[in-house]
Amino acid sequence: MRRSLILIIVLAALLAFGFIYYALDPSQSGLFPRCTFLSLTGYKCPGCGSQRAIHALLHGDIVGAFRYNALLLISIPWIALCLYAESRRTRNPRLYLRLNAPLLIWLFLAMVLLWWLLRNIFNW
Amino acid sequence: MQYWINHNGVQSGPVDLDAIKEMGLTSRAYVWREGLQDWVKITQMPELQGYYEMLAETADPQPAQATQQSANGEAVTGQPYQPQPQYTQPQQQYAPQAAAEPCPPTNLVWAIISTVLCCIPTGIVAIIYALKVTNKYREGDIEGAKRASEVGAWWCIATIILGIIVQPFMSMLPAMMASMGN
Repeated sequence: MRRSLILIIVLAALLAFGFIYYALDPSQSGLFPRCTFLSLTGYKCPGCGSQRAIHALLHGDIVGAFRYNALLLISIPWIALCLYAESRRTRNPRLYLRLNAPLLIWLFLAMVLLWWLLRNIFNW
Repeated sequence: MQYWINHNGVQSGPVDLDAIKEMGLTSRAYVWREGLQDWVKITQMPELQGYYEMLAETADPQPAQATQQSANGEAVTGQPYQPQPQYTQPQQQYAPQAAAEPCPPTNLVWAIISTVLCCIPTGIVAIIYALKVTNKYREGDIEGAKRASEVGAWWCIATIILGIIVQPFMSMLPAMMASMGN
């Protein structure tokens, strides 16, 4: 009961955010927050460009989304799989363990750090 | 309190009381927890009274019929179908079961989401804690894994709050100050 209520709230919030990010273009509108890390240090963080990438993705522009934030696009299937495993953690512990293998987490960590470094060098 | 379930011969657990209710068990399931001599029918569990009584009455009339038909022509008394639990000595069976406790949440999804979306590099700390949880769990240090899981969860929450609430406010601040000055 409580779980389904939370699910409804989360879905409603996702729909609302989806609508905002579909209707307004973060690269044009001043309503969207700018990255604090970028404005403080002048360097991009691993998440910079994700708002523009979501806008592009909602309009079906996968290439554009990849250009704004490649990490976001690559992470989406991973996130979906992990969310599924998370929801079945006690019922399917084997899948959960397999997805949370140290090797996979190291891989993701390395990917984030490399992405962070390279995007500041090559201005991606 | 932790519970173990035996549903149609398949064991699972430990789970807590709320999780049992969400498992979609039928009245054929058996439950065991510490302090019980043996498996107890889920409909007779004091903690679950009322919740599964309904199931016992409505669902599951088939097993009783099935026994009557399969009894080699012998007349079967009106006793309801009672599958025997597979394990007659729960105390001994459960020692290895307790070790097979599921991995505590690594919060990896939330760590990834907060790293990719929140624009705050602290999400990376949460990923490192996810690594710590899964490593400790694999070493058999379940207590350590639980502690790392909790700390990692706080890093996720902090990252999401900073990213979604504080950061937009911070970035709006100059514009608001400017409009107030005018």
